[in-house]
Amino acid sequence: MRRTFLSLVLLSPSLIFAQSSSLTKAQIDSIEKSWEVELNTVVVTGTRTPKLLKDSPILTRIISETDIRKTDATNISDLLQLELPGIEFSYSMNQQVSLNMQGFGGNSVLFLVDGERLAGETLDNVDYNRLNLNNVGRIEIVKGGASSLYGSNAVGGVVNIISREETNPWRVNVNARYGAHNEQRYGGVVSFKTGRISSATTMQYTSVDSYDMKNEGDYNRFYGGHNWNVKERLTVNVTDKMKLIGRAGYYFRQRNAQAASRDRYRDFSGGLRGLYTFSDEDNLEVSYNFDQYDKSDYITITSKDVRKYSNVQHGARALYNHTFAKRHILTLGGDVMRDYLQTYQFTDNGNKRQITADGFAQFDMNFVRNFNIIAGMRYDYFSEAKMSHASSRLSMMYKLPRVALRGSYSGGFRAPTLKEMYMDFDMAGIFMIYGNPDLKPETSHNFQLSAEYTRRLFNFNIGTFCNRVSDRITTGWSQALKGQVYTNIDDVTISGVDANMSWRTDCGFGTRLSYMFTYEKVKKGQPYTSSTRPHTATLRLDYTKRWKNYELMAALNGRFLSKVKVDEYTSVSSYEETQRVTYPSYMIWKLNMRHSFREGFDLTMAVDNLLNYVPEYYYNNSPTTNGTTFSIGMSVDIDGFFRK
Amino acid sequence: MATNFSTYLTAGVAAMLLSACNGILGNIYDEPAADAVSEYGFVTEATTTSPGSIYIDATNYTVWTYIDFKSMTTTALDVNAPAPGSWDIAIHRYDAKTNGGEVMETGATSFYSLANVVTPAGSDYISDIWTETTIVTDMSTMMNGYLSYAGSFYNPELSKWLNVDKSSMPPIYTPSNKVYVIRLSDGTLAGVRLANYMDALGVKGYMTIEYMYPLKL
Repeated sequence: MRRTFLSLVLLSPSLIFAQSSSLTKAQIDSIEKSWEVELNTVVVTGTRTPKLLKDSPILTRIISETDIRKTDATNISDLLQLELPGIEFSYSMNQQVSLNMQGFGGNSVLFLVDGERLAGETLDNVDYNRLNLNNVGRIEIVKGGASSLYGSNAVGGVVNIISREETNPWRVNVNARYGAHNEQRYGGVVSFKTGRISSATTMQYTSVDSYDMKNEGDYNRFYGGHNWNVKERLTVNVTDKMKLIGRAGYYFRQRNAQAASRDRYRDFSGGLRGLYTFSDEDNLEVSYNFDQYDKSDYITITSKDVRKYSNVQHGARALYNHTFAKRHILTLGGDVMRDYLQTYQFTDNGNKRQITADGFAQFDMNFVRNFNIIAGMRYDYFSEAKMSHASSRLSMMYKLPRVALRGSYSGGFRAPTLKEMYMDFDMAGIFMIYGNPDLKPETSHNFQLSAEYTRRLFNFNIGTFCNRVSDRITTGWSQALKGQVYTNIDDVTISGVDANMSWRTDCGFGTRLSYMFTYEKVKKGQPYTSSTRPHTATLRLDYTKRWKNYELMAALNGRFLSKVKVDEYTSVSSYEETQRVTYPSYMIWKLNMRHSFREGFDLTMAVDNLLNYVPEYYYNNSPTTNGTTFSIGMSVDIDGFFRK
Repeated sequence: MATNFSTYLTAGVAAMLLSACNGILGNIYDEPAADAVSEYGFVTEATTTSPGSIYIDATNYTVWTYIDFKSMTTTALDVNAPAPGSWDIAIHRYDAKTNGGEVMETGATSFYSLANVVTPAGSDYISDIWTETTIVTDMSTMMNGYLSYAGSFYNPELSKWLNVDKSSMPPIYTPSNKVYVIRLSDGTLAGVRLANYMDALGVKGYMTIEYMYPLKL
């Protein structure tokens, strides 16, 4: 085991963010086979250096490529809801998707793609439709604050979507899926790896019709639309010690909410990352990242496409790792980012800019056998907010033969955004929303304790967490301004228990059961305004059986969300009266069957919402379903037919 | 080797930084300024064969904009102010009223197809009605749980030109795209069609109205 760890440390230069693995497929397979459960996976999100999942003091949840296939999900929101308890994607105003992860909203959970943050937001959430699962290798989820490595927004957790690492000489995949409401999905991947160059080109198109909901509700029609997503990733091993990774992407989404106009969302992204290995002990990563997220209204009457929002981020990063005595790793890094925002929500459709800069250090210590400590510190500066913030982390793990005990303190913060500082927006003549340049950053102190037991194909872990969040940024009514204004609010404490059990048998059966209890403490006598559901659970039962030229996989995925009682203010301009609203519990089951022929052709059939759940009233946090639906999909790995 | 590394990287980064600081590909969008109408009122005059165009700012909840087809004038007045001496129809937000006239919705979605539409009997013309719960003058009182209204006449037929479904937020706007025939109080006919309810930026409340006057059926 020690040897595996050391070999990983030594190989770490080329494993940064796991996109540049110099481990061969055979080596990875051999590591994986030695550990029979997925604890052997290499993770990077918790430490920004590669570590085996079971060796990471920072508890990381992995959703593997195999898990993704078992859910038949199209995008990140479908997938996370099926795989993790404590996660709920609901609607905010105008049917915009809004995340709640253990009591944290979309702007307090940092979404990364291959370690890079995303530009653009709508009502405090990134565009989750951008995060499709075509050619995704795995997803890593670190819960709790992570600002000592990632800075702003990593208050409640980090979700890192990591591209599939190319291992085959070439691969051509085409896939298609058809489901209810004329939902269509077409995708393709063309990749090759030859000599020093490897490339992966991916494309996905999805579309779905608008449709009316069966019952009355906060919304009574689902707005359909279509998406395009194209990406290219090129890796060049210039020498044995130097690697360059270039990437470019285009995303387009159109939503058909209005008869005379279409909501359009576009993203242009690109980046270049250089990795250089000086020696077995030292490596350096330098990268540049560009992301531009635009929103426009296409007026069908005039055939004009008029942009109303553009967020452009240029970022540069340097990351250096040094290994001491073959077992301690020092990580030093820093970022500079230019953030430009033009929006219809600023005075006269104006724009604002901000420079952010940070430096961070982390020390991964292994002084005592089986005892690992990670200490980290980061300092962030924001030019427009004229503020700085220091975040820290201290995580520990002690390993017994079958048990791993983890304890962690981590700090999280969220700097006020340009929108929150400078908004000047007339809300349909009803009220104004004003920004506030004097906002303080939102901060959190996160404590976690967990115990993990592993025996062969059985894994059980239970953990408890407590987040103390201060100065949360939200809007409140200002009598003086006669409008909503961004402001910092009182402290909130969110705590809970998280338990997961997974078990596989040698004969192909597998199960995973996850449960989470979340509790938001409010001061005595204060209304309970959180809509976070206290009890949530997910369950997967799956079976895989392989014959010579045929494999059958059947997976039953279920999720359960308890009811929640919320005190809601009866007026947005007065905080005196509340009414108690109960959002009902529900559960959704999905059955997915995949037939694989000759390692090249997959046929997938899925039945979603098996129990035909239909909300009596469609609240914004009710599932968007009219009952049971069916879908059928196919995927062809053309190279699979040529493999021996 | 390290020099090579930095050379490669610098070249790559420099190439990417060529992308403008404030974004790329701005030219794929339409410039609203190019289409912005700077003048309100009768923008183009109707001929005997093709409709004219009226552009009005109906964003203000406390204003009726009065349109007089004969003199081709528009007059914006406070909802509580007396109407001007001569006018034919008036617009408040998406609400419409007539000066003692009657309105009929046709099946035509353009003036050029109007001739193909069978002329309905006279009873299909709808007169104005008095309302105290339609003409909203202050949305901000919604904060206190009610809306403020002005009592006014209102033509429900002509107001069909834009259906506003307020059951969701923001409301769903569905234009009928149809031509409405108005029998004015002097017996002459006018035809109107709501061509757009947004300005070049997509801001709602800017009404582009196609019209023909006098209309010969």
